[in-house]
Amino acid sequence: MRITLVKKIKADGSLCRKCAEVTERLEREGHMGRIDQVLIADERDPQSPGMLLAREYRVERAPFFLVEDDGGETRVYTVYLQFLKEVLQQQTSEAEEATEILRDNPDLDFL
Amino acid sequence: MSITRENVGQLAAEYADRQPQEILQLALDSFENIAISFSGAEDVVLVDMAVKIRPDVKVFSLDTARLHPETYRLLERVRERYGIAIEVMFPDAADVERLVQEKGLFSFYRDGHQECCGIRKVRPLRRKLDTLDAWITGQRRDQSPGTRAAIDVVEFDRAFSTEGHDLYKFNPLSNWTSAQVWQYIRSNDVPYNELHERGFVSIGCEPCTRPVLPNQHEREGRWWWEEATQKECGLHAANVSKD
Repeated sequence: MRITLVKKIKADGSLCRKCAEVTERLEREGHMGRIDQVLIADERDPQSPGMLLAREYRVERAPFFLVEDDGGETRVYTVYLQFLKEVLQQQTSEAEEATEILRDNPDLDFL
Repeated sequence: MSITRENVGQLAAEYADRQPQEILQLALDSFENIAISFSGAEDVVLVDMAVKIRPDVKVFSLDTARLHPETYRLLERVRERYGIAIEVMFPDAADVERLVQEKGLFSFYRDGHQECCGIRKVRPLRRKLDTLDAWITGQRRDQSPGTRAAIDVVEFDRAFSTEGHDLYKFNPLSNWTSAQVWQYIRSNDVPYNELHERGFVSIGCEPCTRPVLPNQHEREGRWWWEEATQKECGLHAANVSKD
């Protein structure tokens, strides 16, 4: 399994808020070692590796994870807690997951 | 034709300019285990269109226990008018009790709406979506240009798919405007929520919904006390082209 984390750099050169939060949490909980590579989606550069991957996988949110299994199949995770649970096999609370889904998917405000 | 993660983008492009009825036909032809998410507002047009294609179409609704009486009355009128069983999903009682005991009945005005909506909407929705292969929503691009500008008519649902369970989402009204929806409602004598007659446009839970004035955007009638949603995490092409 190969895990890629894509983080976004905003037009002003700073890391996006959610990307910073996820990075901090990965480090704090000791999971950073499971990430094989970190790529940057730079808003100022449409050809940056992260932006190219976002287009290839039709991802519209950052950060996101690409998880390539040993068979070569790649899954995309845009919900951090889902990634944590399904890929890193960590316990997460359902309440925490529900809140994150809403925060990460503002279009769900139609509910 | 079966819809897969590989071909869904191509189908979305192919159906991008089709009428809602054609997109509904595609949805119902492609998935047997599919249901409409009905909020009790303008998305009632989806029910009207869908029963003409599949009279026993599955419909579900989320009852947060904080809806307006008018919304409950509409659910009943729709049930009677179309002869369909609307499956009503409720939040977990223990979760609601815990939230209310810890933070009171109006914590969303102070802490933001996500925690309450997570308990009252997202968790019951997730429970329902876990049983489906696809769902149909009334999302439209013009409802919120900030968060819905890129909504496709059909998409792989990354938010609710899980490992081993792929879920697809159809948004047949994606390209319709509010004016088109209301033209359809009037032309087809579709039942609608009485709150619309009193200035409500987007209708959700009672404490989090208010009427809007002429020319106010409908999103100003929902969670108006919160700051505009931060969009800094978006990776839309528009973000790039602006720079």
